[in-house]
Amino acid sequence: MSADAEITCREVVELLSGLLDDELPARERARVEAHLTACDGCSMILDELRETVRLTGRLTEEDLTAHQSATLLDAFRSWRAGG
Amino acid sequence: MAAPSISPTDLELVARLRAGDEDAFMMLVTALGPSMRRVARMYVSTDAVADEVVQDAWVGVLRGLGSFEGRSTLRTWIFRILVNIAKTRGQREGRSVPFATLAGDDLQEPSIDPSAFRGPDDPAAGSWSTLPFDWRGMPEQRAEGSETIRVIGRAIATLPPLQAEVIRLRDVQGWSSEEVRNALDLSETNQRVLLHRARARVRRALEEHLRSVSQA
Repeated sequence: MSADAEITCREVVELLSGLLDDELPARERARVEAHLTACDGCSMILDELRETVRLTGRLTEEDLTAHQSATLLDAFRSWRAGG
Repeated sequence: MAAPSISPTDLELVARLRAGDEDAFMMLVTALGPSMRRVARMYVSTDAVADEVVQDAWVGVLRGLGSFEGRSTLRTWIFRILVNIAKTRGQREGRSVPFATLAGDDLQEPSIDPSAFRGPDDPAAGSWSTLPFDWRGMPEQRAEGSETIRVIGRAIATLPPLQAEVIRLRDVQGWSSEEVRNALDLSETNQRVLLHRARARVRRALEEHLRSVSQA
């Protein structure tokens, strides 16, 4: 595909995660951005993907069980004591 | 790459650990423990063995603290130790897990149903023919509700293990792509593809959930 070839919606949606993370090569990014200015459908998917990442960021990691923490604290204490 | 320099946060944390600060250690265990356990479990056969691997990794971390040079972030360095131990342990168990099993066999599949696009015979091949449900502008209390968060959690839980861990580390815990790549021993491309697939699956789960909510 030449540098100037039109990029299709079907191709663009596979590049949006990379675009969000600013990980696309400059030329590819320029083509995707140009496409987005004229494509409502792909812009919608980009918005939703951005929202997906934001909502995913609201999840919290479950805490370790007390059992594991206690065992590890013992390991740390014996390490500190030179064990 | 620039000369190794330890970030101020890691520098302080390492200093506290070297000084024997229990709170600093437990903070690290709490922050990294669940991910470490899941990553270990990818390579070994049981939860119990995974727990042992995590314990061994922490012992390795404490032993190696004196030689931590900050070539990577502290958490990446800890994961490298973990993954090495887990892989060795898995090999000793005679358990070899193909990359495709961990990463999922759907990495090359389209992230949007191909029927949403015009077919190859259409002059506008590859452009949208049917747009997916537009859930932008859904009332905030719906999109932000605890049910939505549960939907995301469930979607992540059903992902192949490496996709799940990459999206957890990147988008839940906020690690950089470089950190995740180094921590999980992935190529740049694999890291990017795994995250892309994971996000696409979660976006689709959200779309299905919010569409059903909007019709309720």
